[in-house]
This record gives sequence, structure tokens and C-alpha cells, in this order.
Amino acid sequence: MTGPLVSIEDLHVSFLTEQGSVRAVDGVSFDLEPGKSIGIVGESGSGKSVTAKTLMNLLPSYAQVKGSMKFDGRDLREIARKKEKHFWGVEMTMIFQDPMTSLNPVKRIGEQIAESLRVHMNRSRSEAMTEAGDLLEQVGIPEPAKRLRQYPHELSGGLRQRVVIAIALACGPRLLIADEPTTALDVTVQKHILDLLDDLRKERGMSMILITHDLGVVKGRTDEIMVMYGGRTMEEAPTRALFECDGLHPYTEALNATIPKIDTPSHTRLVPIPGKPPEVIGRIEGCPFAPRCRYSTSECLTEMPPLVEQEQGHFCACHNPVGTPEGIKAREANQNTGHTPAGLDMKEFEAFAVHAETGEI
Amino acid sequence: MGFVLKRVAQMVAVIIAATFLAFTAMSYLGDPLFNIVGFHASVDCDAVLAGEIEDVSGQGGTDVGDCEVVEAAREKYHLNDPLPVRYGRWVGDVVQGDLGVSFKNSMPVTTIIGNRIPKSIFLMVVAEIFALIIAVPAAIRAAYKANRVFDKSATVSSFGFISLPNFALGVILFYLFVVKWQIFPSRYEDDDLFSRLRSTVLPGLTLALPLAATYFRLLRTDLITTLQEDFVLMAKAKGLSDRWIMFRHVLRPSLFSLVTVFGLSTGGLIGGALVVEQIFVIPGLGRTFVEAVIRDDFPLVLGLVTIISSSFIAINFIVDLFYSVIDPRVSRET
Repeated sequence: MTGPLVSIEDLHVSFLTEQGSVRAVDGVSFDLEPGKSIGIVGESGSGKSVTAKTLMNLLPSYAQVKGSMKFDGRDLREIARKKEKHFWGVEMTMIFQDPMTSLNPVKRIGEQIAESLRVHMNRSRSEAMTEAGDLLEQVGIPEPAKRLRQYPHELSGGLRQRVVIAIALACGPRLLIADEPTTALDVTVQKHILDLLDDLRKERGMSMILITHDLGVVKGRTDEIMVMYGGRTMEEAPTRALFECDGLHPYTEALNATIPKIDTPSHTRLVPIPGKPPEVIGRIEGCPFAPRCRYSTSECLTEMPPLVEQEQGHFCACHNPVGTPEGIKAREANQNTGHTPAGLDMKEFEAFAVHAETGEI
Repeated sequence: MGFVLKRVAQMVAVIIAATFLAFTAMSYLGDPLFNIVGFHASVDCDAVLAGEIEDVSGQGGTDVGDCEVVEAAREKYHLNDPLPVRYGRWVGDVVQGDLGVSFKNSMPVTTIIGNRIPKSIFLMVVAEIFALIIAVPAAIRAAYKANRVFDKSATVSSFGFISLPNFALGVILFYLFVVKWQIFPSRYEDDDLFSRLRSTVLPGLTLALPLAATYFRLLRTDLITTLQEDFVLMAKAKGLSDRWIMFRHVLRPSLFSLVTVFGLSTGGLIGGALVVEQIFVIPGLGRTFVEAVIRDDFPLVLGLVTIISSSFIAINFIVDLFYSVIDPRVSRET
């Protein structure tokens, strides 16, 4: 197979509400090569989950989708229109944030894994059950035979998420979308689950989209990272390149500052991003992050910067990227006036400034 | 098995409470003696026998001889004993399967109830089957396409059936199907299964329609709630069909309210459906009960209370067991 497994171009998703049309995803494009992984990072409301659900054909009927989505060269919307039975759940699967609620509480684990195999792969009940046991073993669940007969409430959160992963892998998907797969889990369990996903991906040569609000989760894990905000792509880069410069985009920089770092003293305070993510109703002018950005200029409020390649393979949609002469100039100008063009007091960023310069407070 | 024992103990306690209440109420509100010796029962016979009142002619023609009869009856039926002792004696008989004889025609109460209860149970079963056959598919359809035409019209008509009184619905059905089109017989017949079914369709439907409306509303709401669960989204992501998801994932966890109300209404129907039995002239438990109460038929009323309360409790016991079948998280030990 040549070409990308997933190719999304200029995807727009909006929801009609009483207040008007909400633009959840506003012109997102990305490619994902077979066997590679991409991390989509952003706060709640950034459009990352909607992007995933659009790919999975899970949006409610009142959602309006525009743009092109291709899977292995095939148009996803065409597949949805033809109501193809063995595509979603087979070629492409998804796991969700909360394993406490994403398993059916009244069905045994075994049935929940086996049913995909029976529906899609034409397995008999007993064949499917045997395979379900194998899958449980692959996701690192001890005593699979016993687990098959248990109900979800008899398992811990970490084990349940492993079961969810086993379900997603049942039909040997080529793409796995993991939507905040570890957010609801204990910190100690998070790493195990992420490592498991990594290993399985490599073993099976599967592609993966890992969605998270936590840059720390994708750091050193995915091949590419796409940072989303207000339904738009803010920055997209190979993971290594992104972390080398701690983000070219002011939003990435801000997100980065919210993660605890292992090499800073433990009393170091984390830096919140001032303001709230936007609800994008109707057409917005300018950059959606401008109201919360300390690098913003008046231009940012009126004109959305295009996504341009700043360095090899490193795209950023910003008029004044961090670390560039424009960025430094814009920040100093705001520092001098005491507020950003959007009217945000620069004092809000004081903790940030210190953090950015010295790494501690 | 501790669970079952506990439930049986509860059951016995409730039956004792119900019958004791009925026993006490009947003793104070009516006079059991009246059914045996007639109006003589109202005379102050203690005073007559003690010779304190000599002229008893003013007291309805009761004389000393009549009072001896009254006294003999009191002795015979142990009416001189205090209430708890009489109740205890009654319980002792019940345990041995003896519910006494009816005051009306001296028939054993067990025979009367045994005669009537199959008709009530048959009516109940038919009504519940009708109700479920109507309500469950309608609720599934309505929940699947919530707020569409079918859902809205079904919701409106369900309100209609809930608010329409039973006697009105029964009379309308009776008029249409018996009087006007003469599809169903006007008399209750139960010579064989077919005639019994024929006689039960209309009363069954009369009971079933409002029930179906209630079931529909409960199940529809629960289905819509369940459809919003994450595991339904997950099931969709697994590529399962809507039908598979509805029947294999959504229906079972949505049955709680339906099963609860089903238990209560079935238990209620065992006691007979007085209005419907009256309209369709069915000699079921409901009519028997009312007649027995009016006639102060002590043994019959108590017998009916015993049977009806135990069936009610038994049905709801089964319902409770069913909860843990629906949802394994419901522990049987709680």
C-alpha cells in the first residue's frame, strides 16, 4: 500500500444549536502513515474528540461535516453513506476515556469481546470466546479464562481499560483511535496502559491516533503531534521537534508549562493558562487563542494566521511564534503597555514569565 | 440461601400484619355474631341472663331462650375469648389449610376462593401479556427515533389511556365489540379454553391499555437514558448494528422501572379488578371481595386477604429476584 492510511483535508464540523452554528472543527488537515501514530492535543472544547468521532462516524445526525476524509484511499463519508457493515469496528476502532462507563455493566467481559468477532468475523460462539481469551492475554490480563466470565464491576479501572483495548483490537484494526485513554485512571496505571498501547501498536503495525489534553502523555510516544485549539490546528510537528523547542506556538508553550516536569523542584508551581477555551459560535475573526495569548498583536485579533511550515515538517499557525524575532517583539510590546491587545492584563502572565525564563518560581 | 430465608420471614411477617389488621377491623366494625344469630346479636344478653333486664320484649322480641342461643353461639365460636386468642386460633386453622366456612352459604372459603381465583389469574395473565405486547415494541420504536412522529403520537395516546378511567374504557369496548359488532359474547363463559379466552379478551384489553400506556412511558424514558450511556457509543464504535445494540445492550439495563411497576400491578390484579369484573360480569375475586365485605362475611374476607396479600408479596419477591438477573451488580444479599 502506498500513501497515507488516513488523510484528512480541510475538515469542518459544526453543530446547529439554538444560539447558532457551533464550529467544533474548523479546517483541520492531517495525514497518518501506516504504522505511525499521531497525538492530538488540546483542552476540552478544542475539537479533538469531535475530530475522532467524525472519523468513527459517531456524530449525531444534526452535525454538519465538510471536507475530505480518506482511509486507505477510500472516502469515509461514502462508506458511511453505503452503511458498510464491516468497516467501523474492523478497520478502524476507538477506545474511550472512561473504562468505568464504556463497558456494558450487565454483560460478561467475554461476551463483550466475542460479539465483535461474531458480528464481523463470522466466528461461532465458542471460537469467538477462545479468541477473546487470547486477546485478554495479549493485553496483559492474568487468568483470562476466569475474567471472561466476570462482569465489568468485578474488575479494577486499569483492568477494565485493558478489556476495552482487547475489544478494540478484536478484529485486527489498522487504525486505533484512543480518546483520552488514561484520563480516568490512576497515575500509576496510566503509564502501563500507554506502554501497552505502544507495544501493541508496534507489534501489529497498527496506526494510532492518541487524543489527550496532556502533552506529557504524547511526549516521547507518538511520531507526530498536532495541537488543536478552538477547532483549528495551531501547531503540527514531529514529536521530537516539538519538544526540542517546547513549542513554537504560544498555546503549545502555555500547555507545556502546565505539565509538571521531573527535573524541576517539587515545589514548582504549575502555570495555568488564563481565560477559558472559546465556544466558537458563528464566524470568528482572527486567531481563537489571541484573547489568552501574551504574544498577541492587533493583527491576531483580525486575521487568522495560516498554518505555515516554520521548519522542516514543523507547522505553526501564528503571526508571532515563540522564540522568533516577531514573537519577542510582540511580547515586549505587550509588556510595555501592560496588557495585550485583547485587553488581558500582562500581570496574569507573571508566573508564566518567570517559569519560562528560569523553570521555577 | 440466607437471602431466601430472610425474604420468607419478611413475607410471613407481612401476611400476619395484613390479616391481623383485617381481623381486628372486622371485629370492631362488624359483629361476627350477627351473621350467626341475626339481630339477637345486638341485645345485651349478659344483662338478660343475669336477670337484670326482665322485660326484653322492647328489645326486638328477644327472650331468655334466644339469649341462651346467643350465648351458646358465643361459646361455640369462641367469641368470649379476647381478640388475640381468637386471631391465634384462626391462624392455627389457616396453617392446617382451613379457612373456615362462608357465613353466606356455609361453603368452605377455600372452595369459594379456589373457584374464583383461576378466573382472576387468567384475566391478570391475559391483561399483562396484552400490556407487554403493546408497550415493549412501542417503547423500543419510540426511543430509537425519539421525538419523531411515532414517538410523539405514541406519547400523546399513552397519556390518553392513562387518564381514561377504567370503567369508561370498559364500557366503550363493551359497547363497540359486544353490543354493536357482536364480536364477543356478553356473558362470561368458561366451558373450555377457547370460550374462556374469548370472554377474557375485552376485559383483558380494558385492563391492559392503561397498563400498556404506563409501561410504554417508563420503558421509553429508561431506554432513552440508556442510549446515552458511554457503552452504547462504544458499541457503535465496535460497528454493531442499531438493532443488535438495542436488543443486546440497551434493553436489559433499561428494564428496572418496568419490572418494578409490572410487579406492583400484577400483584394488584390478583386481588381482582372490581370494575372490569363488574362490567363484563366475571365472577372473579374482586367482586367476591366486595360482596364479602358488605355482608360482613368474616371468614371469606379474611381468607381473601390472606390469599391476595400472599400472592402480592410472592410476586414482588420474584420481581426482586429478577433485579439481580437484569443487573449482576444488584447483590442478592442486600
